[in-house]
Amino acid sequence: MESSLSGDDCPANLSTLGPFCSLIGHRVAHPADVVLAPRTAADKMAFSDGKPGCIFDHHVQTAVCDSRAKYRESRRPRAVKVYTINLESQYLLIQGVPAVGAMKELVERFALYGAIEQYNALDEYPAEDFTEVYLIKFVKLQSARIAKKKMDEQSFFGGLLHVCYAPEFETVEETREKLEERKAYIARATKSKDYYLTKKKLVPEQKGTKDSRQDFHSHIPGFSTAALNTSENSSPCLPYSCELPLCYFTSQTTCLPGDHVDRASNSCSGGRNHGELSKHCNLSAFSPELHVSTYKNSLPCSSMQEAVTTSESVGRFMPRTTQLQERKRRRDCDRELGTFSETNTSSNEVVIGPKLPGLPPVDLQDDSLNTTANLIRRKLKENSSKGILTAGIKHRTWTLPWGGRPELLLRRAADRHTSQCPAFL
Amino acid sequence: MAQKPKVDPHVGRLGYLQALVNEFQETESQDAKEQVLANLANFAYDPGNYEYLRQLQVLDLFLDSLSEENETLVKFAVGGLCNLSPDKANKEHILQAGGIPLITNCLSSPNEETVLSAVTTLMYLSSPGTGSHPELTSLPLVQCMLRFSLSANIRLRNLAQIFLEDFCSPSQVAEARSQQAHSALGIPLPKTEAPQQP
Repeated sequence: MESSLSGDDCPANLSTLGPFCSLIGHRVAHPADVVLAPRTAADKMAFSDGKPGCIFDHHVQTAVCDSRAKYRESRRPRAVKVYTINLESQYLLIQGVPAVGAMKELVERFALYGAIEQYNALDEYPAEDFTEVYLIKFVKLQSARIAKKKMDEQSFFGGLLHVCYAPEFETVEETREKLEERKAYIARATKSKDYYLTKKKLVPEQKGTKDSRQDFHSHIPGFSTAALNTSENSSPCLPYSCELPLCYFTSQTTCLPGDHVDRASNSCSGGRNHGELSKHCNLSAFSPELHVSTYKNSLPCSSMQEAVTTSESVGRFMPRTTQLQERKRRRDCDRELGTFSETNTSSNEVVIGPKLPGLPPVDLQDDSLNTTANLIRRKLKENSSKGILTAGIKHRTWTLPWGGRPELLLRRAADRHTSQCPAFL
Repeated sequence: MAQKPKVDPHVGRLGYLQALVNEFQETESQDAKEQVLANLANFAYDPGNYEYLRQLQVLDLFLDSLSEENETLVKFAVGGLCNLSPDKANKEHILQAGGIPLITNCLSSPNEETVLSAVTTLMYLSSPGTGSHPELTSLPLVQCMLRFSLSANIRLRNLAQIFLEDFCSPSQVAEARSQQAHSALGIPLPKTEAPQQP
């Protein structure tokens, strides 16, 4: 089973194979434009060594382990295998593709998980009868991880796909980048963990300002209660802490051994860490770009509006729905204080977007116009209290050209001899 | 679908890892040892577990397992080290525990993955340039990497090339190359003792 170093191991040779197809920036599931790109010198160097169509040990599907102790069994049957950064690659080898001319559909399916840089069939690779083997190169390693995890053992046109990494196709530079990226990721994860652990000590000093944040928490739907329970009194982070490093979550949440047993000795560990982080954070509603930034584990780089002031400047990325929730909460507070649409000047918040004019309602010197203005005003209050702003994008008052002031609209309407109410009411 | 493992939720991650370590130390089944070691090595991929692993002395467990006769255990152990060696604290621990000779020994393993993991681990234990641990740029090691850089195995070739370019100085490489030209490479060492004369 084990291969020797000076043996017959060699990469599949693409120079004798079909056309090289390039596909860049393809994330959505619409038909891709296939562009034949000229082979680069680097590619030729990587692919012209060795005999064509060689099978490596890591291409072979290892048998599933059935003798595990009960406490460490995984949900899916898995082989006993260790994944290191050497084995993982942006190149995926897909075997078992039914030979029905479905290359385009295959690529489209894989492109759901990330941008594909190149793909082509490996005609020389040993394959079962009536099946084909394909090589897909993702732009990012993380996309390849996720694609492997999701697509391995999946049905495709009546056949069962076997997806594995193909690191032998990497150039020296790609391997180097891969190793460095891994190192950088760990450095970031460990540094962030230390950062949040030290922040835990500072939070008790800010207990007094926590009240409004508690109120804020209650408005957030779908929050991971496991994380909240353990971090209630210690985490300064907002619930949608998609920027939290993986290590924080895995160390803070009370155990979910089921998730982590999945990681154990498995043959498809792609995207394991970040896929599970997504589960914890309930990030499925967010755009793919957010997933990318979570994987990169970038420390927050810009300071956003926060519920409480903190003694240190904490840059934190707040997703859009959180901002809407925050504005709604502030409006509720303001309404209680009797100052509608005014910002809370007692806190040092950063106001995003145009500031609404804080002028009192004006008598339009016409009964019907005043009635209409009051109706509009009442409707605005009702709608914002119902939380419509959190559900959609189009009802934000600050985007309305008339700034949410019925008088102005009606004045303009009167000027233009029209009396139509705004369409959104 | 297999059922979820029946672990007490209060046990947590640390408890689970502790259970794995206990099983590894107590079991006599080679299969179970391999499964548990692979399990731990995969956990070593996630930086969130590093504190637990250090606490449970799993790093030492990996280093000890490098001396096992079972090639699979060695492969999994060095894979685990490869996974956690990019972390600074883990790196310090491995260096202080005298891990370099143990990992260097893995370079002569007949197993491809073992050698690849060993080369990568040595790279992660090194600092770029010439400021790294002297053992990591010793002449025999650089010579070994030079040989690997000529291997038919493309993955090994790539890794060795990166090692020579990023972690060795040109003078060290040149010295190793000149020494190699004069050494009796390619002549296998005898595997058994010479038969005694009657």
